[in-house]
Amino acid sequence: MIQTISKRVLQIIPMLFIISLVSFALVQLAPGDPISSFVTPNMNPDDVERIRQSLGLDQPIYVQYFKWLGNVLQGNFGYSLINNQPVLGQILDRLPATIGLMGTALFFTLLFSIPLGLIAAAYENTKLDRFLNAVSYVGISIPIFWFAMILIDVFSIQLHWLPSLGMRTIGVESFWDVAKHAILPVTALTFQGCASYYRYVRSNTINQLKEEYVLFGYAKGLSKSQIMRDHVLKNSLLPVITLLGMYLPQIITGAFITESVFSWPGMGSLGINAIFQLDYPMIMAITMFSALLLIIGNLLADIAYTIVDPRIREVS
Amino acid sequence: MKKGIVFVFTLALMLVLAACGGSGSSSDSASGSKDSNSIIIGVPGEPEVVNPNYSSDRVTLTIQQALYAPLFWESDGKPALADKLDVSADNLTYTVTLKDGLTWHDGKPLTADDVVFSVNAMIDEKQNSPYRGNWVFDNKPVKVVAENPTTVKFTLPQVAPAFENTLKTFFPIPKHIFDGVANIDKSDKNNNPVGSGPYKFVNYKSGEYYSLEKFDKYFDGKPKLDKVTFRITKDQNAANLALQNGEINLKTIQPAERNKVEKASDVNIITYPENRLSYVAFNQNVPALKSKDLRQAISLTLDRKDLIDAAYGSQEYAKPASSILTENTKFFTDKVETYDQDLDKAKQLLTKSGYKDSDKLNIIYLNNSKAQESIALYIQEQLKSIGVSLELKPTDPTAMSNITLDRKSAAYSLMLGGYIMGNDPDPYKTLYMTGEPYNYANYSNPELDKLWNKGAVTADDTARQAIYEQIQTTLADDAVVYPISYDNAVLAIGKQYQGTKAATPQPVTMFRDLSKLYIK
Repeated sequence: MIQTISKRVLQIIPMLFIISLVSFALVQLAPGDPISSFVTPNMNPDDVERIRQSLGLDQPIYVQYFKWLGNVLQGNFGYSLINNQPVLGQILDRLPATIGLMGTALFFTLLFSIPLGLIAAAYENTKLDRFLNAVSYVGISIPIFWFAMILIDVFSIQLHWLPSLGMRTIGVESFWDVAKHAILPVTALTFQGCASYYRYVRSNTINQLKEEYVLFGYAKGLSKSQIMRDHVLKNSLLPVITLLGMYLPQIITGAFITESVFSWPGMGSLGINAIFQLDYPMIMAITMFSALLLIIGNLLADIAYTIVDPRIREVS
Repeated sequence: MKKGIVFVFTLALMLVLAACGGSGSSSDSASGSKDSNSIIIGVPGEPEVVNPNYSSDRVTLTIQQALYAPLFWESDGKPALADKLDVSADNLTYTVTLKDGLTWHDGKPLTADDVVFSVNAMIDEKQNSPYRGNWVFDNKPVKVVAENPTTVKFTLPQVAPAFENTLKTFFPIPKHIFDGVANIDKSDKNNNPVGSGPYKFVNYKSGEYYSLEKFDKYFDGKPKLDKVTFRITKDQNAANLALQNGEINLKTIQPAERNKVEKASDVNIITYPENRLSYVAFNQNVPALKSKDLRQAISLTLDRKDLIDAAYGSQEYAKPASSILTENTKFFTDKVETYDQDLDKAKQLLTKSGYKDSDKLNIIYLNNSKAQESIALYIQEQLKSIGVSLELKPTDPTAMSNITLDRKSAAYSLMLGGYIMGNDPDPYKTLYMTGEPYNYANYSNPELDKLWNKGAVTADDTARQAIYEQIQTTLADDAVVYPISYDNAVLAIGKQYQGTKAATPQPVTMFRDLSKLYIK
């Protein structure tokens, strides 16, 4: 087991290297020139050229890549091409807001989707099940920005209950204020998250309910709720571990659209700005972080699986 | 397993609390909506380098306008930090006298030394200022000397009338802060700017807001509002909703949004000329468009009023354009060929031009601009009526600048564009001189190149006028571009705010002096 894990950990290094190579190439191949985002026709071409040199953008791509790699290995993610500030500092500035938003959304997503999924499965093909299914279809298919705009219109504009943008009222520093600002974005994210997690839990549970051990349980005279609680629950939640593993990078990288609509000052809006302005040091840093987290998330999920599911342990 | 779930839940909760705890612990008192005597201005993005020697994007320039004060106001050339400007008889020496008793936000005096330092920092190649070109002529920089604490003398290596405009768009930076800094653009001192404008820096929360408070020693009297906050709101629909809610008090809006915004929110709408020209450029790298007849034929099929209606829905937001210079620009003339719609003449010229159906023409424009999309569709429709087919080529902004900045590109035939080039005609040459980087039409006319160069070094206003009028006439006769409109900017500002006239709406930065706004 320890051998397997250490092997997996070692695999991370070449994987990250390849990911960095591919994403660097992709950023460079993207149309456009980072310089163009701050150059105006009023500027002298010589000056533009000088700025290009000072940013190192006049060098061949492979030179830029190895310079970048060398710096990263020393823990230096470079300076943003756009505002000339250290990339790492900007990311650390934004992290708390994103972790808070995404963490809360994940918490509520699990809180609602697991019981709902179980209930829907237990009452498969009843009116309740069909109703929940319909809601989840809606959740999956409506565009999140549209749903977000509806939330803003109803709760901020019509009812005046909640603020529509930002993370706090300017000049107010309280937990309650942040919480109030978080309600709408968290609702939007949770609604969408629930829609897919619910379906996952439901279909898993339905499969479990067809297993022989369930029939055996009934035969032994256990009640439906006992079977659900003591046997089915555990087995049907196992695959959720994988989902959580995949969710890990999102906790850090944030939700692009939701953060933009609500002007939430998190990683999502930072990332999307970087992409639009071809700010490659920033794009690379965010990509590497999320790649690393995705790999770690999968690794943790696999380990957790091995621990909770004896069958896997035996095979490996 | 149940333990596992509980663990995940606890982890999530901890993360949430950690994040919120982080925000609750900082106890700076920003400016705000809680204070009644303040304004919240919506801006669509983060500021970049908040330093007048570097800033070039709209958001940074807007914030800078409140933080720093210029020597002269750009819009009318009236003195700001300066008291007066004297130009020597040979037009080589410019002497600027500063007002007495100027101070920086940190209380240190603002003197001629600061001006000299700021200019030299721009001229210094190692500092990578994008504005170095304004201060260097033929590789010879302007010489700048402080004669005494309030007098600065600029000596030019050659006559350059556009230099006066450079002086008028110039904001000094404090010497005592930046002296000896190796890379001013990367300095973290830009994160805590010390300016001389009506409002001083309080704090900046990345992704949230940039907040300022009034500077009592502002040269033009105490600002009337106590606090100014620039709120960063990426999504413009959400920002317009926030305007209704009073979470934002002032922002620019699109003409097409006006009715909706005006109906829903308690705002006044201000429209004013943005000194911007919208135009169609004809790329002469495309063989068919080398023919002047074809360019004129296309121009004659278009109707400016229709174009403006298509783009903005009303004539209120744009004025039909005539010249390649905007109306605020020195030596502007509207006595040029404007190609008023004449389909019969257009058809004749088209036949004369030798245009064949195999000459495939396209039009490139921004895929995120509703206005440009409508214009492109209109042009496509109009050209059908004289038998020219036009392929639409909507393109995202980065790709578009990539394609159109390639001076050898024949990938686009027609291009939709717009520019704000300031008050002096000289900078416009980068758009029309042979081989210049922004010559989107790839137009080349050696005679005209000579005129542009001559205009840049002619001091006599009458002689200059003749030069620039000839340039405008020739460019119009040659149908190098089709000028569509001089656009208006539209501001929405909460009804409680007064003094918008004194604050003077101006292009790019919304107002020229926020200190004049007050609440009734």
